[in-house]
Amino acid sequence: MSKVRRVLPLVGVLTLIGLWWLVTIVFSIERFLVPSPADVVASFLELPGYLLGQSLVTLIETIEGFSLSIVVGIPLAMLIVRSPLLERTFYPILLAMNAVPKIAIAPILVVWFGFGQGPKVVLVVLVCVFPVVISTASGMKSTPHELVELLRSWDSSRRQEFFKLRFLHALPQIFVGLKVAISLAVIGAVIAEFVGADAGLGFVIVQSGASADTSLAFAAMTLLAIMSIALFYGLAHLERKLLPWAEEHR
Amino acid sequence: MIVLDDVAQVFDGRAGPVQALAGIDFEVGENEFVAVIGRSGCGKSTLLRLIAGLLPPTRGRISIDGEPVTRPRRDVSFMFQRPALLPWRSVLSNVMLPIEIFGLERKSYRDRAHELLELVGLRGFEKRLPHELSGGMQQRVSLCRSLIHAPAVMLMDEPFSALDALTRTELSGELQRIQLEQPRTVVFVTHSIEEAVVLADRVAVLTPRPGRLRKTVDLAIPRPRVPGRPDVDQAGRELRDLLTAPVDE
Repeated sequence: MSKVRRVLPLVGVLTLIGLWWLVTIVFSIERFLVPSPADVVASFLELPGYLLGQSLVTLIETIEGFSLSIVVGIPLAMLIVRSPLLERTFYPILLAMNAVPKIAIAPILVVWFGFGQGPKVVLVVLVCVFPVVISTASGMKSTPHELVELLRSWDSSRRQEFFKLRFLHALPQIFVGLKVAISLAVIGAVIAEFVGADAGLGFVIVQSGASADTSLAFAAMTLLAIMSIALFYGLAHLERKLLPWAEEHR
Repeated sequence: MIVLDDVAQVFDGRAGPVQALAGIDFEVGENEFVAVIGRSGCGKSTLLRLIAGLLPPTRGRISIDGEPVTRPRRDVSFMFQRPALLPWRSVLSNVMLPIEIFGLERKSYRDRAHELLELVGLRGFEKRLPHELSGGMQQRVSLCRSLIHAPAVMLMDEPFSALDALTRTELSGELQRIQLEQPRTVVFVTHSIEEAVVLADRVAVLTPRPGRLRKTVDLAIPRPRVPGRPDVDQAGRELRDLLTAPVDE
């Protein structure tokens, strides 16, 4: 059973690729409209080094922004949980920040931070920080009252209550937020690259669109998809390793 | 010694104030095992939380060894209805948790933790995670945790009520044995007459809404007590009659 289940995702992907191929053949669609999987692979094999290099650029932006959003988001969530006053002050700002379309910010970030990696990382942080803060805060708040009372019955400090109980209890939920965030992070990096970049897979997509090289655009998108899947499952794996006690894996 | 002097507790309910406890005058002697018995909702748990210093009383005074209770004390330990183990900590590290919170040296308590776990039949389970244990085993871990720092007073809030009947009887037997070996002051809230009769030196009967102390009954039955023995069962019947009789006020 478990072997079959392991193969299932692969079956799904292969079926989709098969259908795509079939459609391009049956309807004899032009290469520049929808390239066949073979065209896409050929396109990749023409410039493998270049494409992998551009992937690395996007990957680094994604991981830097994602990591930074953890460093910023988790302490922010702790402050919010700790003080209802801060929560009331900062929540609307956080919500407003999240509501702003990131594509609208991207050009402004270029104006502020220039054409380098900076604005990309900043945009990734802006996209990621919200799910991280929300999941951390709600995880810490949902700590069972019984466990809080247990620690209080030993006259524990607030600090102990936070670090020995609430934070650890929140970890499974934090991971839910991180998994949402990592998927958004890749999107954020690409959006930033659409606007004023000279490297990265987003840049490749824009360039190939301009020269009607649809196969190359598809190759870049496929690499993005692979990156996104790998990052997601990497996190899920880390979660299983770090939190063997969490409900989800029982 | 625990002294409660005219203690009352009022909660702000949704439909106005709710009187949970009224006019409780009560004393628990050194190393005495008192069972507090009563129907659900008669304020038994509130009484324990007041003694534990988790809740300030609306009225009256509570003191332990002459000191007024204003906050949780380290020599008082609280045991809950559910095991309340931290799921990410192993059995041993759950038992050691109070030592960590108190900032005491762990090394000097590790042997005691092993001894306690052995005493309740959990030797070899030290490295397991709580979810790998049965409910009864989890509650045994919880018992060890509440004993690790050798508290002078144990407050137990229906600690065995979530367990099946067999495990329940087993655990109250174990608690009796521990109490015989290392006596301490215990206030044990329960709604089980059997548990009260097996464990308690004295039974306090609470009446509901508001919780008032109706009567205390001394149980001078020789130990170790076993349910089913004539004198134990006789005391149980008397206690039941008292609980079901109409309130004489």
